[in-house]
Amino acid sequence: MEELLKIENLTVGIASPAGKVQAVRDVSLELHPGEVLAIVGESGCGKSILCKTIMKLLPKSAKIEGGKIIANGVDITDYADKDMRRLRGKLFSMIFQDPMTALNPTIPIGKQIAEAIAIHEPKLSKEKVYNRVIELMELVGIKQPHERYKLYPYNFSGGMRQRSVMAIALAANPKILLADEPTTALDVTIQAQILDLLRQIQTKLGTATILVSHDLGVVARCADRVAIMYAGRIVEIGTAEEVYYDPRHPYTWGLMQSLPALNKGAKELKTIPGMPPTLIDPPKGDAFACRNEYALEIDYLEQPPMFRITDTHYAATWLLDPRAPKIDSPMGGMGHV
Amino acid sequence: MRRNPALYYGKKALVFLLSVFVLSVAVFYISRLAPGDPLMSYYGERTEKMSVEEKEAAREKLGLNDPIYIQYIRWVENAAKGEFGISFKYKQDVMEVIGSRIGFTLILGGIGFVLTFAGALLLGVLCAWHEDKWVDKILCKGGTLLSCIPEFWLSLALILIFAVTLRWLPSSGAYDIGYKDDWLNRVTHLILPLTIVVLQHLWYYAYMVRNKLLEETRADYVLLGKSKGLSKKDIMLKHCLRNVLPSYISMMAISVPHVVGGTYIVETVFSYPGIGALSYESARYHDYNLLMVLCMMTGVLVIFCNLIGGIINERIDPRIKANEVVQISEVTVD
Repeated sequence: MEELLKIENLTVGIASPAGKVQAVRDVSLELHPGEVLAIVGESGCGKSILCKTIMKLLPKSAKIEGGKIIANGVDITDYADKDMRRLRGKLFSMIFQDPMTALNPTIPIGKQIAEAIAIHEPKLSKEKVYNRVIELMELVGIKQPHERYKLYPYNFSGGMRQRSVMAIALAANPKILLADEPTTALDVTIQAQILDLLRQIQTKLGTATILVSHDLGVVARCADRVAIMYAGRIVEIGTAEEVYYDPRHPYTWGLMQSLPALNKGAKELKTIPGMPPTLIDPPKGDAFACRNEYALEIDYLEQPPMFRITDTHYAATWLLDPRAPKIDSPMGGMGHV
Repeated sequence: MRRNPALYYGKKALVFLLSVFVLSVAVFYISRLAPGDPLMSYYGERTEKMSVEEKEAAREKLGLNDPIYIQYIRWVENAAKGEFGISFKYKQDVMEVIGSRIGFTLILGGIGFVLTFAGALLLGVLCAWHEDKWVDKILCKGGTLLSCIPEFWLSLALILIFAVTLRWLPSSGAYDIGYKDDWLNRVTHLILPLTIVVLQHLWYYAYMVRNKLLEETRADYVLLGKSKGLSKKDIMLKHCLRNVLPSYISMMAISVPHVVGGTYIVETVFSYPGIGALSYESARYHDYNLLMVLCMMTGVLVIFCNLIGGIINERIDPRIKANEVVQISEVTVD
C-alpha cells in the first residue's frame, strides 16, 4: 500500500536559553491511508513537536535539522509557509490538546467552521458553506446545529468545544488528521465519547489519523498501529495487537505494567523508576538505559538500532540482539497469546 | 452574578460628585493661596499707581477680602445659577471668553486624538507583523526615544527647524491676521502643534497595540487557525486584531483627557488661542473665575472619562458577558 505520509530520520532541535533541546531524534514512520497510528509517550518525549513539525507549526526557535517529510509522495521538508498554507486543512489538519483555548473566544463557532471551509473553496456560495457547516456539526455530534451556529465558544462545554475543533479540522476533508492529545483536557466520560467519535468519523471518512497520547489505555480504544516514543525517539512500533500482546522494549513493558487495569489486586501501582533525561544533552547510548532494570552494558555505550521482530513490528533495544541474554517478558504469558 | 443597576450607577454617580467637589475646593484654595496679586490682572499697570485705600476698595468690590470659604460658598451659589463670574483680565463673562477659544482646542485635540489612535493602530500592527525585524526594532526604539523628549523642547526644536530655518510653516497662532476664513492658512498653523500632540502619545499606544497583538498571536487558537490553512494576514487582522480592539477602544475612552490635556502645553508654546493657553494665562494672572471654570471643565472631563472607561472595561470583560449569556443559553444546551 502506498503510504500517505512518510517521515524519514527526522530530527528537530529547539533553541533554548539552556542550550539546544533535541526534541525529535531520528524518527522514521509511515502512515497508510485510512489507518489510525497512535504515538504514545511521556510528557516531553517530543510527540507534540513531531505533530507540529509535520504541520510546520513549530515555534520560531525550532528547526528541522535533518530528515525528510514526504506527504502524498511530495517532499515537503523545505516548504515555505506560503506553500504549507495550501496543504494545511486540505491535506492534513490538527486537533489540539486544550479545546478551551483552541477556539477564538470572540467569533461564533459556526463562523469559525465556515472560515475553514471558505479558505479552501473561496468560490463556494454562502448558503452552501452554511449547509456544509451544519453537515459538519451534525457529523461531530453537535445537536441543534442551526441554533448553535451563532453561539460562542464560552457557551460550549469542553466536550462540545472539542467536537467543534474536530469539525474545523475536518472542514476541508483532509486526508490526514493529527490529533494531539485530543482528550487529555477532558473529563473521563467525555474522553470516551470523543475517542469513539474520532474512530467513528475515521471509519466513515477514511481519514488517516495520527493520535498522540500519553495513555496506552486511551490508545487501545482506537489505534490500528502504535508507536512508543521515548526521549525524542521511537523505541517500538507495531500493530496494536503486537505492541499490546507482545511488547519487546523494556520501556513499553514499564508503560504496560503501570496501567491501572493491569494492577488489579496489587497494593501499589507499578511505576517506572526515575525521570526521563533532559533532551538538551541526551545521554550516549540508549536514553532509557538508566531507568531500565534489564539494561546491558552496551545500552550505555551505543544507541540500539531498530530490530525487526515481524514485518510490522520493530523495537530499538539491545535485548533483541542475538548475542543478548534471553529475558522473559515481565508481562508473563501475555507475550504468546 | 446579578447586580442592582440602580445601586451600581448610584455608587458611580456618588464617586463622581465627590471627586468633583474635592477638585473644586482644591483648585479654589490653591489658586487663592498662591502668591501674587489678582488686582494686577484686573487693573493692569494701573495697579502700581493705586493708593492703599483704592486697592482696598477694589478688593472689597471684587469680593476678595472675605475668608476663602465664604468666597467658595458664594462661588458655588452663583455656579448653581449658571453664573461663573467675569474674567478679571478680559472683563467679560468667563463662558464667553471660553466659548470664543474652545473651538480651537477641540479642533487640535480632536484631530490629534483621531490621528494618534489611527496612527498607533497602524504602527502597532506594522510592528507586530514584522516582529523583531528591523522595521519593528527601528520603530520601537525610535518611538521610545521620541516619547522621552519633553513636549516643550520638541516644540521649540520643530519651530526652530520648520519656522525659523526653513520658513515652511508658521510658528504661532491659529491663523495669520487677515486670513481668518482661509482654511488653508489655518491648516498650516495646525501642522506643527498637531505633530507634537500626535508624536507625544503615538508611541505609547502603538507599543501597546504591538504587544497585545503579539500576545494574541501566541494564543492557542492561532495554531488552530494556521492548521486550518489561514494566512498570516487573516490570522493577524481577522482574528488577533479583532480580539485586541475592545481593550483598545476602552483605552481610547480613558485617554481622552490624556491626549486633550497634552494640547495645553503645546498651545502655550505655539501661542495657539485654545483653552490650554488660556488656562496657563489665567493661572499666571490670578484670573480666578476663569481658572476655576477651566480647571473644572478639564477635571470633570478626566473624572468622567475614567468612570466611563471603568464601566466599559467591566462591560467587555468576557467573563462577565459569558456569565449572562450562559444563563440564557443553558436552556438550549444539554
